[in-house]
Amino acid sequence: MSLWVDKYRPTSLGKLDYHREQANQLKNLVQCGDFPHLLVYGPSGAGKKTRIVCLLRELYGAGVEKLRIEHQSITAPSKKKIEIDTIASNYHLEVNPSDAGNSDRVVIQELIKTVAQSQQIQSSTQREFKVVLLTEVDRLTKDAQHALRRTMEKYMSTCRLILCCNSTSKVIAPIRSRCLAVRVPLPSVEEVCSVLANVCKKEGLQLPPELARQIAEKSGRNLRKALLMCEACRVQQYPFSGEQEIPETDWEVYLKETANAIVSQQSPQRLLEVRARLYELLTHCIPPEIIIKGLVTELLSNCDGHLKAEVAQMAAFYEHRLQLGNKAIYHLEAFVAKFMAIYKKFMEDGLDNFMF
Amino acid sequence: MMSKLSLGGKASASKLSSWVEPAFGELFPGRRGPRSGGDSGDKPAKRRRVKSSAPNPESGSPSRRQAPRGEPDEPWVERYAPRSQAELAVHKKKVEEVETWLTTHLDTKASFKGGTVLLLTGPSGCGKTATVQVLAKELDCRVQEWCNPNLPEYRTDDSFRQMFDPDSRFNGFQSTSQTGAFQDFLLRANKYNHLQMKGDSQASDRKVILVEDFPNQFYRQPGCLHDILRSFARTGRCPLVFIVSDSQSGDRGSRLLFPKDVQDELAISNISFNPVAPTSMMKLLSRIVTMEAGTSGGRVSIPDKSVLEQLCSGSSGDVRSAINSLQFSSLNDLSLDKSLWTLKKGKIPAPSRKGFMKAKGKSKSSQNTDMLGDSQAIGGKDASLFLFRALGKILYCKRETFEAAEAPRLPAHLSEHQRDKLLLDPELVVERSHMSGELFSLYLQQNYTDFFSDVDDIARASEYLSDADFLTAEWSSRTTMLEYGTSVATRGLIHSNSARAKADSQSSVGFRPLHKPHWLLVSKKHKENCHAAQSLFISFCLNPVSLQTELLPYLAKLSNPMRNPAQIAFIQDVAHLPLNIFSGSRLRLEALTDKDPGLIDTDSENEETLQSEATAENEGLSTEPGPASSPDAGVDLPMSQPQPTTTEALLEEEDLLIEEYESD
Repeated sequence: MSLWVDKYRPTSLGKLDYHREQANQLKNLVQCGDFPHLLVYGPSGAGKKTRIVCLLRELYGAGVEKLRIEHQSITAPSKKKIEIDTIASNYHLEVNPSDAGNSDRVVIQELIKTVAQSQQIQSSTQREFKVVLLTEVDRLTKDAQHALRRTMEKYMSTCRLILCCNSTSKVIAPIRSRCLAVRVPLPSVEEVCSVLANVCKKEGLQLPPELARQIAEKSGRNLRKALLMCEACRVQQYPFSGEQEIPETDWEVYLKETANAIVSQQSPQRLLEVRARLYELLTHCIPPEIIIKGLVTELLSNCDGHLKAEVAQMAAFYEHRLQLGNKAIYHLEAFVAKFMAIYKKFMEDGLDNFMF
Repeated sequence: MMSKLSLGGKASASKLSSWVEPAFGELFPGRRGPRSGGDSGDKPAKRRRVKSSAPNPESGSPSRRQAPRGEPDEPWVERYAPRSQAELAVHKKKVEEVETWLTTHLDTKASFKGGTVLLLTGPSGCGKTATVQVLAKELDCRVQEWCNPNLPEYRTDDSFRQMFDPDSRFNGFQSTSQTGAFQDFLLRANKYNHLQMKGDSQASDRKVILVEDFPNQFYRQPGCLHDILRSFARTGRCPLVFIVSDSQSGDRGSRLLFPKDVQDELAISNISFNPVAPTSMMKLLSRIVTMEAGTSGGRVSIPDKSVLEQLCSGSSGDVRSAINSLQFSSLNDLSLDKSLWTLKKGKIPAPSRKGFMKAKGKSKSSQNTDMLGDSQAIGGKDASLFLFRALGKILYCKRETFEAAEAPRLPAHLSEHQRDKLLLDPELVVERSHMSGELFSLYLQQNYTDFFSDVDDIARASEYLSDADFLTAEWSSRTTMLEYGTSVATRGLIHSNSARAKADSQSSVGFRPLHKPHWLLVSKKHKENCHAAQSLFISFCLNPVSLQTELLPYLAKLSNPMRNPAQIAFIQDVAHLPLNIFSGSRLRLEALTDKDPGLIDTDSENEETLQSEATAENEGLSTEPGPASSPDAGVDLPMSQPQPTTTEALLEEEDLLIEEYESD
């Protein structure tokens, strides 16, 4: 039994649930059997990967769904061994080069070279190019992106690249201009609801529309999250009821508790406790950016007026540092401490105004 | 080494002095031309050793009791080597500890349980060997000592030919490794008793095997030593004492040779020595000076008290080096002496200024000499600080009031930044902690919250820490920026603590325990977990963020049976969080102290025992809770070994990743 997310993932461009027009365009694009390099971007959970897989299927047929996980090791010029996992079919190769950290440049060059240099044997029945799918391109180092630029041109005859990322802002302009950019926006609430309803129907479940709407809103229109939530609801309680509480993930609850702890008391002692909680979140694989984002959202609901702006500005400042710095905890902690200071002052001022 | 032996009350001083070149011999006129005094460093005597130098102590001591003999070139270290427990400069409690161990393990004849091993650690020159030797004498047992033999390794052609001469069959090529020799030595020392000589009246058969210098092979393969020790533990009959000097910078002899698990396995007792306290060092030096003055008849000039204090502080708890420096500095017929010490004559070492301090303002000149003097104590060691103290210095940030007249005032709108003068130089503190600035900042970050009471202050402090990290963000400029980053972190932390802005506002925070930083562990765990998540759940084809924040947490909520055990275990571990508020976190606070349990106890005890002779300034500082006193004036250096092995290893790992970045 697989997850609903995987079970009911559409497998062809024709079966996609939303953004039909875009699906048609994609279909037309590959109709002639060839396509330029693609840069697919959009928020997480919008269906980028689904569309890419559909596209590949359109190109190569069902063969692309036979996936195998390969463990590749690449030797860098500096004799360093880089281990990386790839997912491949006979026709395409999917790799997340940022797994290799600072050596992503080598991964890109070497992997694409090996793929591009191996010719397809039966070119009559197949396309004369392979597809390399690079995920998380926005997390590549600048070096790797420049290497990619060169590679794209060099192996144009034998391989096509599909780049997949959340935002193009971190992708260098030369790459953006070499690709056909395809933006996959989030589905609307209604679209999410209809997908949920469809899935539940296929599962033989009754999904009240109110619950579907709640899930859609709570998931932030992230379809993956919505489906996971829906499945979690199913585990929690069935038959569904309209005002059923939607289970949240542990880390979200934990983060909320942390935010409450910050708001309820501002003292060095409390900062120490918060730090311990931050550490706990970090050890549970929650990336620091997500932590600071979640904290801000929670904290902002406790602020009003000009304080909101101040907190948001501060959060942006420390998130920037978080991205650039080495040790996330310094910046997370500085943000928390700063918020405590501002919030305390705000509360005291408010109290004074109240008294007089 | 030689002097370590002799410091330990070896009876052989008279014998030795004939063939061991005394360190200062050449400084005396008439023997050889005086050399520039550079070689009076920390190794006074030539590194030569006496093979199996275990003469019975009784015969030796009487001759030595007739204090200074006519030999002027005898190193004072040997001449004034301790002969009784009372003369040891080591703290009484430590001596007792060693004594109890020795007494309990010397008389195990009745209940034979195999060999027992004692490990003595401590900085060099703190009297480890001396303690063993003195105690052995008092307990009436012999010390049999191992020393690395000079094995024939490189031969001249002649001797080589001789060795392989086909005609002489008796000159067999025989060579054993040092390790083999060591094993032999242990076996023999263990099995065979000392021969009864005529002179030895009531020679007991009790003996202690002492190992101070280890065959080099052991450093490469500590396993060899452990095997030998294991067999010794089974068959041994007499106590075996290892002495390992640990220096702070990098050399982790004791940890390498005797890792914790081996210590536990073989029940090795470990007693670690502290550097000699300045007060007992002072006592010792003045005793030597007076004795020397009484006998030498003017040939030796008596250094005044300030010079002695200089020596004390310069030696940082190393008796041997202090005595050597003393001997050197009291040679009055050396022209070089004058020039070296005149610099200091002018200034009075005010107790409060004994440590280092920042040279600034009008008093610059006088403080400059202070700094100079500090570094100029001949034979002085580089002062170093235990991490515990270094952190304490930054966190407690002692200040000093300005003399009323010269106090610079900030304008009114900046008055909240008004701070009294700092008593320390943060950069120097970090440097002396023998630690990278990055790691030091981490330690600070772990511990600073306890020392703040105001949220505004703590916000500012944390911002400085964040600044510091940000400064070192750029990989290419990191090496340069590291120092600045540390400066920002330490100084920012000190400045932002407004509760400690004034010299007299310091007693608000009592003693606070310090802890090791969690971050290294946390970030390692984070990386490991992320990696594990990706490799375990690669079949979902998700990018890490959505995998970790969406899929895994929900998988934990679903009862999806298709996962393999590794995945289930991982989800159990990682995707679940303890959800009741303020449940204790999984991270244990690792207190930053030594294994020595009596950190605070020894401190307070020291206060009692030393009160009689403690000078006023010492008392003032030692009653200060915690390690905030200046480095040299502290009564006792609390044994707070940083034990940075693991953390440093982690850090190195991190650095490694960065180094492998190639930019071409």
